[in-house]
Amino acid sequence: MISARGLKREFSDGDGGSLRVLDGVDLDVKQGELVAVMGRSGSGKSTLLHVLGGLDTAYAGDVTVAGTSLKGLGDHELARFRNSTVGFVFQSFHLVPGLNALDNVALPAFFGAQGGDAKGALERVGLGAKAGRQPSQLSGGERQRVAIARALFARPKVLLCDEPTGNLDAATGGEIIELFKSLNAEGLTVLAVTHEERVSAVAGRVLKLENGKLT
Amino acid sequence: MRASSLIRLVGLSLKRDVRGAVSSVFGVTIGIGALVFFVALGLGIGRVVREKVFPVDAQLVEVVPSQLTLGSMLGGGKIDQATVDRLAALPGVKKAWRKMTVRVPAVSRYDGEFFGSRLHLGLEVIAVGVDAELVRADVKLGEFIDPGEGQPIPAVAATRLLDIYNHTFAPNRGLPKLTPTLLLGFQFPVEFNRSFVVQAKPGPVTATSMQLVGVSDRGILAGLTIPLDTAVRLNKASGVDAETFSAVTLQAESPSHVPELAARVKEMGLKVDEQDRRWAENAGAAVLLTTSALALLSLLICLLAAVNIAHALSASVRTRTKELGIMRAVGAAKADVRALVFAEAAALGAAGGALGSVLAVAAAFALDAAALTWLPQFPFKPDSFFSIPIGLPLAGVALGVLASLTGAWWPSRDAAAIDPARALAG
Ligand SMILES: Nc1ncnc2c1ncn2[C@@H]1O[C@H](COP(=O)(O)OP(=O)(O)O)[C@@H](O)[C@H]1O
Ligand SMILES: [Mg+2]
Repeated sequence: MISARGLKREFSDGDGGSLRVLDGVDLDVKQGELVAVMGRSGSGKSTLLHVLGGLDTAYAGDVTVAGTSLKGLGDHELARFRNSTVGFVFQSFHLVPGLNALDNVALPAFFGAQGGDAKGALERVGLGAKAGRQPSQLSGGERQRVAIARALFARPKVLLCDEPTGNLDAATGGEIIELFKSLNAEGLTVLAVTHEERVSAVAGRVLKLENGKLT
Repeated sequence: MRASSLIRLVGLSLKRDVRGAVSSVFGVTIGIGALVFFVALGLGIGRVVREKVFPVDAQLVEVVPSQLTLGSMLGGGKIDQATVDRLAALPGVKKAWRKMTVRVPAVSRYDGEFFGSRLHLGLEVIAVGVDAELVRADVKLGEFIDPGEGQPIPAVAATRLLDIYNHTFAPNRGLPKLTPTLLLGFQFPVEFNRSFVVQAKPGPVTATSMQLVGVSDRGILAGLTIPLDTAVRLNKASGVDAETFSAVTLQAESPSHVPELAARVKEMGLKVDEQDRRWAENAGAAVLLTTSALALLSLLICLLAAVNIAHALSASVRTRTKELGIMRAVGAAKADVRALVFAEAAALGAAGGALGSVLAVAAAFALDAAALTWLPQFPFKPDSFFSIPIGLPLAGVALGVLASLTGAWWPSRDAAAIDPARALAG
């Protein structure tokens, strides 16, 4: 489902030098797997997810997700890939203020996703009753559920989660982890990067990102 | 991105910063409002100049004898029937109408009832005979032909003369205002070869009367227009020149034939009376110049509005960096983000342009109404100082949109350049 070969990504460190965050990452995730990538803060976990999800294009190496090779895709093709093939879940939820829960879930539809079921997605994450709420009227856990419903909206092949429990207390985070578990049980491929043990505890496979390499 | 999605997203972001939107719209409103207002005023004044003050028919060429040319010394420069025939045969000439001034002075001594007032007045009268066809369309009473000796002479007054009478003469003398219909049939005595100011000719005085039969743009300004045969008869009776014409009005096939025609006429040793045309052109040019200056000023305001929108959108894009990053993450292309900013600008511009146009049109109507009530009457005072072709407000809206889109150029580029990975970090 995900295949990465020799991924390299550098940032300029501001003093004219460069910082090699990814230094030859190889990764294979099979259909239906739940994989956790662990690593200290600053180890490059978010960077890796952005590359795999087509948000970052300034990398070297090869990435194939759900049969799509990202190398050489144009901006519109990458946009369509992000729109329908992958779903992102972020640490700080990133809902659009001013849109209610239902519209936030349907946000991918604004950019072309077709056949999505916003109501069904909200019900799947247990928030069917709060479709009309603004993000500001939801708790942190509920916001993350809305964000997950949004990621599920276009029926993606892969869920890419960046510290999905990082902003949540233990109990709420636990519920979110349970949600990922059950989604994975239904056959969805999930790749979660985290530095929290409780996330990796439910993963079928745990990888470690260290010094730009994945082990 | 589909249009309906775009519209919803635009509505969303405008709703979230109503104050910013209002301030952006305000700038466009002022610029477009001023532009539409001044252009409408310029068009309106231009129309008054063209249609009322100097109603020059673009197809007509007024040919007059040249006074002091070599030709006149050789007997040329006069307009006799042969000359008229030659003029009528010039290429591009559709019609030629002769004019002959009654070459003796005339006065009207009026003493009696005048439309409900008493009038006691002596007035010099200038009468010019013309071919009937020149004014026929405006003759509303009887036929425009020589009635013969002792009969009232049909006379046509100039529209402008009536205007001047109504707005200057009548109010000053406490006389009633007159409409063309009211005037029809009005008779007054005239004595030819009599004058209060110049020496009369040796011939006899002819006492007769005139009857107004119409009001026409083609009537001569400084007098009355009568049938040509009447002028010939009166000149003959007074023993003055009844052979040559004082002018010929040529009707060109089209206005584009006029310059060529004027050149040919001059080659024949005759003059083209371009007084009215020149006045009209000068006045028209003055109006155009003023309008252009004010329109330019308004365009400058539009430019400032565009700069204002550029600032506002830049700030808005900066505060929405994260949100635009989210959109990129869920499937927006760079072009979608750029389109969103442009669409917001277009909405602001359209709103400002529409509001400005509406306000300008409302102001025009209000000023016209106020002028009707508050401004004193003056010659050529129009019913409306404005001319608002339907395309003007539409152009106002279009220009408002254009100004806003121009202002949105840079912010939209910045928005498209946002790195979503960075925007969503943390
Ligand atoms: N856009 C960027 N410009 C410069 N440095 C960056 C940028 N994004 C990330 N980095 C650096 O790359 C390293 C890895 O960042 P990140 O992938 O966010 O780590 P993690 O998610 O594991 O905490 C950090 O040192 C961070 O400062
Ligand atoms: Mg991170």
